[in-house]
Amino acid sequence: MNPALYEASQNLSHGASMLISNYVFPNDLHVHWSMMIVLYPYITGLVDGAFIIAALYYLFDVKSLKPIARFSLLFAFAFLCCATLPLLLHLGRPERNFNMLLTPSPSSAMAGFGYIYAVSMGVLSFIVLFVYRPDLVERGKKAKGFMKLIYRALTFDSNDLSEKALALDGKIIRFLVGLGIPVAAVLHGYVGFIFGGVKANPTWSTPLMPVIFLFSACVSGISAIIIAYIIIRKMGGYSVDSDCIRTCIKTLTGFFILAFSFEMLEVFSHSYLKTGYHHMVEGLLNGPLASSFWLWQVKICSVVPLILLGCMAFITLKDSIYTFIAGIVSCILLLQVFIMRWNVVIGGQLMSKSARGYTVFHPEWFDKEGIVAVIIIMLIPFMILFVLGKIFPFWAEERKGGIQ
Amino acid sequence: MISKHSVRIILVVLSVVVMAGGGLLVKAQLIPKSFGLYGSYRADAIEEEAQKVVRHGTNKSCFECHPYEAKIHLQGDHKTISCEFCHSTYADHVSNGKRTAALPVKKGEEITTLCLRCHNTEIKARSTIVIKTVGMPDHLKQQNVKLTHTCNQCHHVHAPLKYINEAKKITGLMEEKP
Ligand code: HEC
Ligand code: HEC
Ligand code: HEC
Ligand code: HEC
Repeated sequence: MNPALYEASQNLSHGASMLISNYVFPNDLHVHWSMMIVLYPYITGLVDGAFIIAALYYLFDVKSLKPIARFSLLFAFAFLCCATLPLLLHLGRPERNFNMLLTPSPSSAMAGFGYIYAVSMGVLSFIVLFVYRPDLVERGKKAKGFMKLIYRALTFDSNDLSEKALALDGKIIRFLVGLGIPVAAVLHGYVGFIFGGVKANPTWSTPLMPVIFLFSACVSGISAIIIAYIIIRKMGGYSVDSDCIRTCIKTLTGFFILAFSFEMLEVFSHSYLKTGYHHMVEGLLNGPLASSFWLWQVKICSVVPLILLGCMAFITLKDSIYTFIAGIVSCILLLQVFIMRWNVVIGGQLMSKSARGYTVFHPEWFDKEGIVAVIIIMLIPFMILFVLGKIFPFWAEERKGGIQ
Repeated sequence: MISKHSVRIILVVLSVVVMAGGGLLVKAQLIPKSFGLYGSYRADAIEEEAQKVVRHGTNKSCFECHPYEAKIHLQGDHKTISCEFCHSTYADHVSNGKRTAALPVKKGEEITTLCLRCHNTEIKARSTIVIKTVGMPDHLKQQNVKLTHTCNQCHHVHAPLKYINEAKKITGLMEEKP
């Protein structure tokens, strides 16, 4: 240790001794998995939820979702492009992540994400290309020069739009979407699994973790799609398909009831099992996390939307009012899932392995993993989406035949 | 007859297979030579780690140049404590048997901070059999001194009970060891 670092470490423990409660091991003082690791499951969750909406249309033939099916594919794609960004930013030496992928170890799941990510990226790209092929062929005919070449590449150089060709495309899309569901489930289930697999952390180490993560992923993704759909349509001066919004909200209600039940079930199982570390978990939820868990995650962001969703289900509302409330509920649920990720990732690290003390987390603004970085990372997918929108039109015009 | 469209799709599938296969081939090429010799790590890493310069010495490494502190330290209650814990690393101070740079020497308040890292009652890490702890500012109140007193005004940093025992001997308060 060099003298400057040595001084810093001494001052740190002195300053921190004012804030921490009881005994915290020196290596537990600092929250190592900070906001980037909150963002990472959040982003993969958005991808998953958006993909579920697309799958409902392309695989399960939920016709009312047609207006947003293509958009949710693009949305999922844009966010999937950024899914690894927070992880790389979190690493001290990002370029070394390739070393891990070169030599995956069966006893460490970390490299797994690289492979799962690559597969889901491949599957999703091909789904988008096949779904958009008719549009791309049409646009390619009008394009000139370099753009023409791009369109040729994106359509696999096949401008065949005959009934037979489109039927074949339809089958391929169905197959890929079918394949995409387990891939998406593994992609996000993996994230939950990574936390659930940390045996040393009693709040994480539960087999319920992947399940909770999956359901809340669906909640956040569907909410995001609803908001994005309403905002982009309204801004462009288009109408909002209320039938589609109603189906989305119903799906959202289902997933949210499941997600919330499982979140509560986890707390219940902790307090019923009363394992060796229960006093720590209990102290965490009622101490450092009292406001972010009970007040924000449970009361404000779960109970309130449940009541709103209940109203939407039981009271007949005018379309415009329904759409308005749908937007509000979706916003709250997006926040709910973010807070839930926060409480799991950051909250889980606020207790020391000493099982005797709690530490505190100070988010910073201009850190490598600070608040500004979080905002920038969350903006990038929207920029990607904007650029994608130039080549892949968000909204399908009425078309005869094919699976569009 | 197979349509042009189907041919294209077969080509796409083939190119995916080729790309995946190519990826695996490149991966196999990039794996370091000594990887996996003993386990899921690079065997050469052991050799490389062993080559690293040792930065910490033991207390013994300080004694020959600091006989005065050594004598006090070895007789006091801190004889089991590492010099480097309180003074930072050997390599930052000495190289090739010569003093190359100064080590930080704590003063005043810093000393109190240092002592409380191990002796604070708030830290309920170890039992008092292993290490005695004091609560602040109660400890100073018990001694009837100003709260601005630092630990080293009564405790010798290298042999914490040195002065106190001497004082007790003079005043005849030293208890007989059973
Ligand atoms: C409990 C922590 C602690 C340990 C262990 C310790 N020291 Fe110190 N040492 C101090 C402090 C604090 C000072 C400053 C004393 C003062 O200003 O009253 C100091 C002062 C010194 C000084 C004098 C510095 C100067 O220029 O004033 C030397 C030399 C020294 N220590 C060497 C050693 C050696 C050698 C060892 C191991 C045998 C050792 N120390 C172990 C805390 C420690
Ligand atoms: C090669 C001999 C040598 C060794 C080994 C050595 N020191 Fe020193 N040290 C010196 C000299 C010379 C000084 C400066 C003279 C003085 O102030 O007494 C010094 C000064 C110090 C000081 C006062 C601050 C400063 O740098 O001027 C401290 C504290 C100290 N040494 C601690 C240690 C500790 C702890 C170790 C063991 C890890 C150690 N020294 C090992 C030679 C040595
Ligand atoms: C690295 C941790 C550490 C630091 C820093 C430290 N001590 Fe200690 N101290 C100990 C340990 C351990 C013992 C008990 C040693 C034993 O019993 O073998 C001890 C013993 C003592 C005792 C004797 C207690 C008794 O009655 O048996 C006193 C007094 C004391 N330290 C004061 C201080 C002061 C003053 C400082 C600051 C200069 C200080 N200590 C810094 C670890 C530390
Ligand atoms: C005014 C002088 C004075 C100051 C300042 C002082 N101490 Fe003490 N300390 C004593 C005396 C005297 C004893 C012995 C008490 C006894 O044996 O009954 C003692 C005992 C101790 C003990 C052993 C306690 C035990 O249970 O036997 C520790 C540990 C200790 N001091 C640490 C510290 C630390 C750390 C500081 C600085 C924050 C400090 N002291 C400041 C006078 C002082």
